[in-house]
Parts: sequence; structure tokens; C-alpha cells
Amino acid sequence: MREFGFDHYGKGPNDRYKTFKTPKHLRMFLRSKSPFAGYISVAFYNNPRRRDDWVKSEFVFDVDAKDMPIRSCNCDNVCEICLDEARQLVLDLIDTLKGDLGLKDIHLIYSGRGYHIRILDEIIMTGEAEVRGEIVKYTTGAEIPKNSVPIGYTKLFNERTKRNILNLTGKEIIDGINPKLLKDTIKNRDVLINNNWGIFQERIGPRRYKNLINSFARVNLSFVDAKVSIDLKRILRLPSTLHSKVSMKCVEVKNPETFDPFKSAVPKFVYERK
Amino acid sequence: MESNSKWIGFINPLSSESQELLRENIDLENLFENNKELIDIILNIGEGIFDNDEKIPKNPAELGLKRLEWFFREKNDKQLKINEYSYLYNPQIEKYDIISFHLLAQAIGYKFNINSREVKLFLESQNRLMEERLSRISPELREELINNILSQLSDVTNLKWTDLLSLIETKKIFLEDLLIKNSKVILTEEDFREYYYEDIKNWDERRIKMVYEKIIGKQVKDEIMRQLIITNTEEYLKKIKEKLNIIDIHHSIKKLGELIEEMLNILNEKYSTVYGEILSGGLNGENLKGEKLIKDAFPPCVLSTIEGVKSGNRNDAIVLFLTSFISYSRLHPNVFKLDQHMNLSDFDPNLKITYDEILPIIYEAAENAVPPLFKDQPQEKINITSKLGFGMHNEVELNHEGETKWYTPMSCDKIKMHLSNLCHPDKICKKIGNPITYYSYKKWLLQRDGNSNSKNNEANKKK
Repeated sequence: MREFGFDHYGKGPNDRYKTFKTPKHLRMFLRSKSPFAGYISVAFYNNPRRRDDWVKSEFVFDVDAKDMPIRSCNCDNVCEICLDEARQLVLDLIDTLKGDLGLKDIHLIYSGRGYHIRILDEIIMTGEAEVRGEIVKYTTGAEIPKNSVPIGYTKLFNERTKRNILNLTGKEIIDGINPKLLKDTIKNRDVLINNNWGIFQERIGPRRYKNLINSFARVNLSFVDAKVSIDLKRILRLPSTLHSKVSMKCVEVKNPETFDPFKSAVPKFVYERK
Repeated sequence: MESNSKWIGFINPLSSESQELLRENIDLENLFENNKELIDIILNIGEGIFDNDEKIPKNPAELGLKRLEWFFREKNDKQLKINEYSYLYNPQIEKYDIISFHLLAQAIGYKFNINSREVKLFLESQNRLMEERLSRISPELREELINNILSQLSDVTNLKWTDLLSLIETKKIFLEDLLIKNSKVILTEEDFREYYYEDIKNWDERRIKMVYEKIIGKQVKDEIMRQLIITNTEEYLKKIKEKLNIIDIHHSIKKLGELIEEMLNILNEKYSTVYGEILSGGLNGENLKGEKLIKDAFPPCVLSTIEGVKSGNRNDAIVLFLTSFISYSRLHPNVFKLDQHMNLSDFDPNLKITYDEILPIIYEAAENAVPPLFKDQPQEKINITSKLGFGMHNEVELNHEGETKWYTPMSCDKIKMHLSNLCHPDKICKKIGNPITYYSYKKWLLQRDGNSNSKNNEANKKK
């Protein structure tokens, strides 16, 4: 059974360790208390009221559009542009999870301000934090490849890095990349469209290129909130509830290719209010 | 060229061929008797051992000891001349090598715990021996051999990354180093051509072969094979331990166990540096005593946390990471060497050090954070108290100790995941896995340099 959590005052979940025997009981609770937000654990417990006797946990990738280190919109919160960039990233991650790692039971949730990829394959549900960490690093492209042959992981790393370099606006502050290197990267990035990494490296210079790649390995990882992925007892926003800070619904995404949060996740009352 | 079947046991002493050879040749009663055949083989291989009789292993038990000695010295003795042990890479000793491997396993299984440094040393030495032996054979034979052994160990055409889960979890194999398609680990050339057709269809034949050879043949297969053998060796040791509960062990094996311990003690005294100690599982002695903190020895992640972390990272960096790092490095740097859980007051009974030295650094980091942590999140002070083991209270007070647990320091790996912005590794970072170890090592380096400086100064004065 899972643990439920609620936010009754609008300051984050303050009422945790709840359980419900049936969906009806949950419905009754929500109707009578009308909390700001509802959450559910990724973990299954034999004794969820004490978060005791852990059985297994979903494996999660959390992409929050607001926290992405590179966003072509540079907006303050979230907007159509960065939410769509988050969706593109999520499509790539799912592609790797399915195509390379062969995971099958993958669900995508629009969280209100980004996406949760929730994976329920048994083999991974019982896996410890260490394995999850390794999968996150592989899937996001967080390790520098050991060879330069563009197949397998090297290809994946190049693709993730290329997209991030092409999305740079020049306003980013990235650890390990000084303004001059950022400027030169943007100036020379067009050769990457055709995957000419050799030419790119030559133009940037070998030492600076090494710094750049080191930094981008870190950037690639920071597009997801990795601590959510390795936390076996996390609670996540409950699908079908409202994200009270942005007035959008947390909903399961049926078709990630065509999903548009502004069509599918805006609650009726927002339109009525207008 | 040696026949392939001969090499199998030389690489995998647990193969069925090896087991058979063992059964036919092992003689526990005469384990320590001079064995003429072995001595002849070793003298015949020769090189670098004729100047000293002690360099020649004269029976399977001594050969086992030499295997461990070689590995220990390779790690710690810069003067080591590689040809002193050249017989270890020569398949002529195969029969005795297999016997010595099994003797070692029995003796180590009898004498040491499964998580001990001695067991680790044995496993690492086997891994290194396989690596070294494989590097000395021709590419063709090597490929054939690895294929043969791998097919004995697992179904190579159907190996999934999830079959390697325990190796991935313990970071013995990295997902990034494998070629994985639809959960399958690509190992054969046919599969490589089929699964990566889209990527390689425009390559010429030579390049395809070369890339397959480089990425899979030399790296992936070799690594998987060695790791599977090591995992099997671990299992073998566990089985030996279980059996020892039921049957009594042969006196020769007991004797070998004692000899291993004795030899390792001598080697430790002779060669071990603090640096070597760090790499093989933690510092000993004086460097692990809790003493006044030296900021110059802090790792980069700790320094940048104290200098000030930005919003988003503040809570975890200060509450989870810094609090445990500062308290443990000041009071109990030995934490990972002792399994037992301790309370903070076991080291600081009246909490004087905690009030005067530990909390000020943590609170300073909180103040330096942007924005200052306690300004908008005063409740985080409670969380700091809680991570020190003193419950959910604003202040650290003895009577609340034990209400929560003293949170142990985060490993580098966890920091990379939780607080990637803080991780800017320097040269030392590459050698260690936990900031606490960094601190102990750097402190030792500083003290050593300080000592040698002061000695130099004294010497100069005398002049």
C-alpha cells in the first residue's frame, strides 16, 4: 500500500503518512478537507502509516521546466516554450529507457510545471538507490564517454549535449564555463547540427573543449532532479489533483507526442474566471 | 602457441576443467613439501629470481602466498621489478596455479571475514592477475578464449543488463561502457552488426571490425568476464564459510591461513603508506583521531558550501551534507571503518566541541548562503539539530540525544546526484569516494609536508 500526503495550508505537504482503503475513502477525505494539494508515495509499504516494511518503489525521473539550466525562453516561471522543451527532453529520456534499457511499464505524468516519468517495471521497482543513480546517469548523459565512436552511449551523450548547446541563449551562468567560452561555443555551434564534433573541438581548442564537455556532463544531469530518482520514499503530486501555485492539473499524459498542457491541464475554473 | 583449453583454467580457476584438474592433483598432506616439478618449471621460466632463493615458490602453498605478495607489492612497492614474478603470467604453471588459487580461497575463507580487507585483496589480486595474463596473449587467442569462458559463464547471445544488476550496483561495471539495445547487452559481432545497422551501414568493413574489436572485444567482454569470475569467487568464498560451520578444516589449510596473516602484516609494515591505506579501505592510527579542524584540508565541495550556496541547494548542502561532514570529521573520522553506530556524545561528552567548533562552522555556512538560510527558513535549525542526533529541537541538548540518528556523511556519489553544483573534483578527489576520506588524506599530506619543512628548517639552522 502507498502513503498519501496533503498540503492543508499552501506551504507544502504537512500532513503525511495517510492511507486509504479504497478510492472512495480518498474521495471523501478530499471532499471534506479540500487540501491545497495531494501527494502519493512512490513507495509501497506493508505498513504505510509508519513508512515501515518497505516493499518496492516506482523509479521516477522528475523534470521541472522551471529548473532546467538551459531554456530558450528565459522566462521567470514556466511558459509554453520551456514546457515544450521539457516535453522534448522527456520524449528522449523515454526513448532511451524503452529502446536501450528495454523498460516497458512507463507512465508519463504532467506535474503542473513539468513532467514525472514513473516507471513500474518490477525489476527496477525493487532496485536500490545505487542502481537508480547509475540509470539516471546513463539516461541523461551525465558521464563523459570513454571513446569517441558515435554509437551506443557516446551517441546518446553527443545528442543530449548537442541539443543543450544549440539551445543556449548566451544568458546562462554555467559552472566551469566563463563568458568567453560560452560566447565562442555559441559562435561555433552550427557545425554541430551535422555532428561535426571534430571541427567544433578544433575551433574551441582542446583544453577549453575538455572543460566544456566536463561542464555539459553536469548540465545534462541537472535537467532532471536526480535526488527524486534515488529517493525510495519520495511523495509525488497525485495525478488528477491541482498544482495550487500555477493552477494547472496534474494529469497522466496519454500521448506524449501530441500532449499540450494548455489544452489538457488547465482546469475549467480558470476559463470561467476569465 | 598454447592450446586454448590450457588457458581456460589459467584465467578461470573455477571452470569445470579447473575443478577436475584440482581433484586429480591436490595433495593436502604434502602442501608444504618441496615440489620438484613446480620448482623446475619456475626455474625454467626464470628471470629475476636467481639471486635469492626466497623468491622461488617451492610448493603450491608458497605459490599462493606469492600471488598475494605480488599484488600487494604491485600496489605499494615502487621498487618492484616486474620480472621477479614473471612465472605468474606463464601458463606452464597452470596446474599449480589452480591448486594455489583454491588453497588460498580455503585458507582466506577460514581465516578472514567475507567483508575483510584480506578477502578484498584476494579478489582484487585475482582480477589483476586475469587482466595481466590476458594482456600477454595474442589478440586472436585472447578473443577465442574470452568467448569460450564467457559462454561457460553465461548465455552471451542473451545477456541482459539486468542480469548484471549487482555488478552495476556496486559500480564494478558501468552502463555507459556497455552497448545495450532493448535491454540486451550486445556481445557478439553478429548482434553488433544487426542492432547497430543504422549507425554503421555507411562504414567500411575494416572500421566495423575495428570498432567492434575496440569497444566490445577488448573492453566490454573482457570486463564482464572478469567481473563474473570475481562474483563467482565471492560466492565460492561464502560457500567455504558455510561449509566450515559443518566440517573441520584440514590442518594444512589452517597453517596457510596463519601464514597469510603473518605475511600481510609484514608487508603492511614494510610498504604501506598512509596513501596505500586510504586506497585499501581507510586510514589507521593517528590520522583518524578526532582533532581540531583544519580548513586547508577540506575538500572543494565543503569549502564552497561554507563560502555560501545559492537558493535551491541551500537546505541539502547545509543540513544534510555539511552538518554530517563537519561533525564526523571533527569527532569521528573513523566512521566507515567501524560498523557500529555511535552517538555524538560518545566523542564529545559535554558537547563543548559541538558548541565551540562544529555548530559555528555550520551556522556560518547558513549565514553565507544566498539568501541566508535561517532568514527565510528558520525551521532548518531544527533539522540541523536532528541530523546531529538530538531530535527535532532548536538547540542541541544532551537530554534529547538519540531521538534522531546522527546522520552519516554523504558519499561523493550521492553528492554528485543531490548537489551536483558543489562537486568540482580536484586531483585528490579522483582517488577517494567520500569527502571524509579526502579530509583525512589531505590532513596527513599537510602534516607530512609540514614535518618535512620543519625538519628542513632545523637542518638549515644547523648548517
